[in-house]
Amino acid sequence: MSSTLKGITLKGSAELVAEFFSFGINSILYQRGIYPPETFTRVTHYDMSLQLTTDPKLKNYLTNVVSQLKEWLFECTVQKLVLVITCLETNEVLERWQFDIECDKSAKESSAPREKSIKTIQDEIRSVIRQITATVTFLPLLEVPCAFDLLVYTDKDLVVPEKWEESGPQIINQSEEVRLRSFTTSIHKVNSMVAYKRTDSV
Amino acid sequence: MAEGGDVEWELSKENIQPLRRGRAISALHQALTQQQDGLSSVINQQRQAFESELRMYEGDDPLDVWDRYIKWTEQTFPQGGKESNLTTLLERAVTRFTEEKKYHNDPRYVDLWIKFAESCPEPLDIYRYMQAQGIGMTQASLYIAWSEEYENQGNFHKADLVYQEGFKKCAEPHDKLLQFHKSLQARVSRQVMMEVEDDDSDEEPKQPERVSLVDLKYRGKKKAIALVNRTGPAIRSVSGGLQSRGAPVLGNASNTRLMIFDESKAPTAGPSEPRLEPWMAPPTSRAKENEKRPEKWCDVKKSKFGHTVMAPPPSKPTFQPFVDESDQPPTMTPCKINPAVNTVLSARKPCREGTPLKRLQEHHLQQKEAELGKSQEQSMYCKDLLLSGATEFCFEELRAERYFKKIAQDTQEVSGQKDHSGSSAAK
Repeated sequence: MSSTLKGITLKGSAELVAEFFSFGINSILYQRGIYPPETFTRVTHYDMSLQLTTDPKLKNYLTNVVSQLKEWLFECTVQKLVLVITCLETNEVLERWQFDIECDKSAKESSAPREKSIKTIQDEIRSVIRQITATVTFLPLLEVPCAFDLLVYTDKDLVVPEKWEESGPQIINQSEEVRLRSFTTSIHKVNSMVAYKRTDSV
Repeated sequence: MAEGGDVEWELSKENIQPLRRGRAISALHQALTQQQDGLSSVINQQRQAFESELRMYEGDDPLDVWDRYIKWTEQTFPQGGKESNLTTLLERAVTRFTEEKKYHNDPRYVDLWIKFAESCPEPLDIYRYMQAQGIGMTQASLYIAWSEEYENQGNFHKADLVYQEGFKKCAEPHDKLLQFHKSLQARVSRQVMMEVEDDDSDEEPKQPERVSLVDLKYRGKKKAIALVNRTGPAIRSVSGGLQSRGAPVLGNASNTRLMIFDESKAPTAGPSEPRLEPWMAPPTSRAKENEKRPEKWCDVKKSKFGHTVMAPPPSKPTFQPFVDESDQPPTMTPCKINPAVNTVLSARKPCREGTPLKRLQEHHLQQKEAELGKSQEQSMYCKDLLLSGATEFCFEELRAERYFKKIAQDTQEVSGQKDHSGSSAAK
C-alpha cells in the first residue's frame, strides 16, 4: 500500500472505485429510506461519517456485487453502474442513480503508477457522497415502499456471470435529471447523475 | 470538471425546504441564481401576472389559478420565508373556497388545506376544523396527513383511529389509504419490537421506580387520571415532541416551582367524537406553558444579597470542531433579495391576531353574518378584488388590467375583420 501514497496503479484504482460504490450505494439506500434506518450503523470513512447496512442479506448481496465490479473495473470492461429505485407494488421506476465509468484502457498495458495522491482522490469521492446526501433538498419524498436494483453496463462481449441476468435500461419517462460531481483516479473516471420523476407543477 | 452551475443548489442546500413532491431542478436553479444576482424583477413580474389573473379570472375553475400560483411560489422561493408569502397565500386560498361545496372533495383543494395545516402551529385543530366543515372527507390524503401528525406526536392509537374513520367514509383512493395504514402498523409493531429487545438487552432487571414528570395513561373512558401506580405499563411510553429513547429522565423535583403544562387537562377532541364542537365560536384559549404574570421591572428590590442567579458563562466546548483540511472560504456569500419592484403598495401583512384557525373561524362567522344581512359594515367598492391576492392592488391597476384586456380584444377583432375582408376580396 505504500506505493499508493505516491501514485496509483490499476489495481489500486479499481479498489478505490469499488469502495466508493460500496459506500455510495449504502448511502443512497440509507438516505432514501429503502431500508429502515435502524438497520444501519455509523462508520467513519473518508473523514466523514457514513451509514453502512447491518442487514446480513443485503450486506452479502452488496459484497458480491462490489467484488464482481472490482474485477470488471480491473479489466476495464464496465461502463455504467445504475441503481434503480422502484415502487414495490407497481414496479414503476421512481429514481435512477447513474454512475458512468470511463476507463483509461491504456493503464492495462503500462503498469506504471499514475501521479495522483490517494488523498486528493478521497477528497473528490467525499464531495460526491456529500452531494448524494444533499440531494434530499430537491428529490421527491418516496411515499411508497420501494425496492432497489443494480444494473451494470459492461462491454458487449462479456460473459454474464452466474446470478446476473440481462435487463432493460429501466428509464423513467418524464424525468428530471441532475448531474452530480464526478471524481477521477486518473485511471477510472466516475460521473454521477440522478434522475427522478418530474413534478407535475410549473 | 464541467459542472458549472450545478453547484448552486449544493451551496445553499440548507436554505432549500424539501417538498413532498420534489423540486424541478430548473426552477430551483433559476430561483437560486436570481436570488444571487439580486434580480427579482422577473419573479415580481410573474407574481404580478398571477395576482392579476386571480382577479380577472372568469372561467368556472378559479381554484386552478390559486393552485398554480401556490405551486409556483413553492418552487420559486426554495427557502420559504417572508418574501414567499406562502402562508398568507395558503390561508387566503383555503378561506376563499370554504363555502364552495363543489371543491370540498377536490384533491387540489384538500392538498392546499393540508399544506396550510402543516404551516400552522397546531395542525390537528385544522384537521378537526376540516372535518367539521366536511372538507376532504372522502380524500385519502387528508386521513394520511392527519394520522401522520398524530404519529409525530407519538399518539399511535389516535393515528390508527384516523385511518378507521377514513375507511368508514370510503375515502379515495382506497388502495393508498390501505397501504399507508399498513405501513403505519408496520412502524408501530417494529417500534414495539425494538422496545422489547431493549428491555431484554438490559442486564440488570429493571426495578419499578417512581418517575416524576411523566404522563400517565388514561384508563377507561374518563380522561381523568386517578392512578396510584406510577410505574411500569401505566406510564405512557412515548410522549410528544422529541422522543428520547431509553430510560425516562428522572426529574429533580426538589424546590422547583414550575407550572407544568398538563396536556390531558387541555381540551381535546378526537376523531372518534366528531362534530361535538360546532366551531362557530373561537375555541377557548389553550393552556399556556409556564406563563408568567406581567409585573414591574424597575425598582425591584433584591430580596437577599447574593441570591441572584447569574447565568454561568458558556463553557468552551470540550470537543474539537471538525475543520476541513482543505478549508477554503466559501466562494459566494448569499445576498438578500432586492425589495420588491412594486413599491407603490406594500405586500399585505397578514393580521397577526390570534391563530390561523381563529382567523378562519372569524372569516366564516363574518360570511354567515353577511348572508343574514347582519353585517355592520358594507363596502361600496370592490374590496374583494383589491384584497383577494397576497398583495394589495390599487384601483388603477385593476382599471389598467381591464383596459389592456379590452385593447387586446379589440385588436383581435380588428385583425379578424381584416382577415375576413381579405378573404372576401380574394373572392
